[in-house]
Amino acid sequence: MKSLTIERLEKTYFDPYANRQVTAIRDISLTVDAGDFVSVVGPSGCGKTTMLNTIAGFLAPTAGRIRIDDRTVSGPGPDRGVVFQSFALFPWRTVLDNVAFGPKMRGVPKARRHEIAREYLALAGLSHAAERYPNELSGGMQQRVGVVRALANEPDVLLMDEPFAAVDAQTRMTLQEELTRIWGERRPTVLFITHDVNEAVFLANRVVVLSHGSVLDDIVIDLPRPRAWDALIEDAAFKSLAARVLQRVRAA
Amino acid sequence: MRTATASATVPLEVSPWQRLLGVYVRWSSRNPWLASVLPFVPVVVAWAAIAKSGLFPPVFLPGPVEVIQKFGTLMANGILPAYLEDSVVRLAAGTAVGMALGIPLGLLIGMSDRAHRMLWPVLLFFQAIGDIAWLPILLIWFGFGLTTMIFVIVYTVLFPVVLNTVLGVRSVPIELHRAALSLGASRARVVWEVVLPGALPNIMTGLRNGLGFGWRALIAAEIIVGTSGIGFLMFDARRAGSVVEILLGMIVLGVLWYVVDSWVLAPVERATGERWGLVTRKD
Repeated sequence: MKSLTIERLEKTYFDPYANRQVTAIRDISLTVDAGDFVSVVGPSGCGKTTMLNTIAGFLAPTAGRIRIDDRTVSGPGPDRGVVFQSFALFPWRTVLDNVAFGPKMRGVPKARRHEIAREYLALAGLSHAAERYPNELSGGMQQRVGVVRALANEPDVLLMDEPFAAVDAQTRMTLQEELTRIWGERRPTVLFITHDVNEAVFLANRVVVLSHGSVLDDIVIDLPRPRAWDALIEDAAFKSLAARVLQRVRAA
Repeated sequence: MRTATASATVPLEVSPWQRLLGVYVRWSSRNPWLASVLPFVPVVVAWAAIAKSGLFPPVFLPGPVEVIQKFGTLMANGILPAYLEDSVVRLAAGTAVGMALGIPLGLLIGMSDRAHRMLWPVLLFFQAIGDIAWLPILLIWFGFGLTTMIFVIVYTVLFPVVLNTVLGVRSVPIELHRAALSLGASRARVVWEVVLPGALPNIMTGLRNGLGFGWRALIAAEIIVGTSGIGFLMFDARRAGSVVEILLGMIVLGVLWYVVDSWVLAPVERATGERWGLVTRKD
């Protein structure tokens, strides 16, 4: 895994209906160290999703640079894996072939890429679902597939865009715990976008608070790992960190 | 409490109608062809009854028996198989060319805003000139022949395929494009891996409409242009005043379409869009 550096990122776009330039990102600089887990929170319209789409290369920045280690990147690429809020699984491919998609694009032979896919499905406890189609799975299972599909392509950085916002509350907690476990085992570099303060604190080593397209605060989360909701929900340190982040978000 | 016990011990009465329905459901699930044939029984019975009643002279409205006999004769002397083959080959050739042109054109217009701006108005203009409206000029250009008929079918198939392909391309969620790109797919690969399968249910709808329109256009073209084919059979029979043959031709048209739909189109749809959850399953 590698580090992700965002330097003086700026993104404005033209709104033809309002007939003016809209600033989504004013000025963001941020570094995610190799193997670190950073959450980004902020109110709606603070630019967090625009930031992720720009890092992923789906949008071109107006100014600024995005680097993976020392290499400047532009446009989408397999070095930055993305997990989407809407899961974005290919409905016409089985779970196995969804996970094997990245390796397939790299030209990995069929037997080998299926072997890789099975290994990653096992990591998320999904071995039994390999031959099913995405529409036959629950939302929680679909997003497990979404996460391991991104991981199976061994990206340098994993970008997650409110990945658990579309699943029910209980499933969300389970998925959060599974994500911390998988992160502990594989140690990918993760940038995790969310509007859920508890989620941001639970998962991350650092929480970045965005406001009006700029970084408002950067809070270190020094809670011990492994983390589990049953313990943390009552934990004084967790509560005080979550309260601090929440206050910053509300001030944003 | 009492009612609960009663309903548990005394089975609810099954009406004769339900019994009949039960027999039908069980039988037709074991023999799927029954489900296709049975709905036509009342139609044929009503036809036979009206023909038998003497309300119309038999020359104007022959009964099912006469039509079946005619079917036997035309099968035996080889005219019907030959005409059927001619019509089906023309339709298949026209449809194949129509799809080969229509799907790439639809992909282009669906994916490129520039192509959309340039081609969409032109497309709508030519769509308005219906298939048959081309016949006068086609007859001057190509004469009474295969080229004219294929042109009409291609023309008719093209528009539904293009328009539905465009719709299909545009209905693929942008996240699927992005997911493929960030998993390392090239732009060309995205077309093959995402755009085409995502648009497939709509392409099938376009094909279904195109085939339906194409089939009708073919019959019309055969009536005007033809020297063989089902349309020619019917129009030739009119000249001879043989209502039996006309009715036979009409029935062949209906049956053939049913076969194309249930043996070709429906299985493809079941294996793709319905299987993937892109289209609601019909049980």
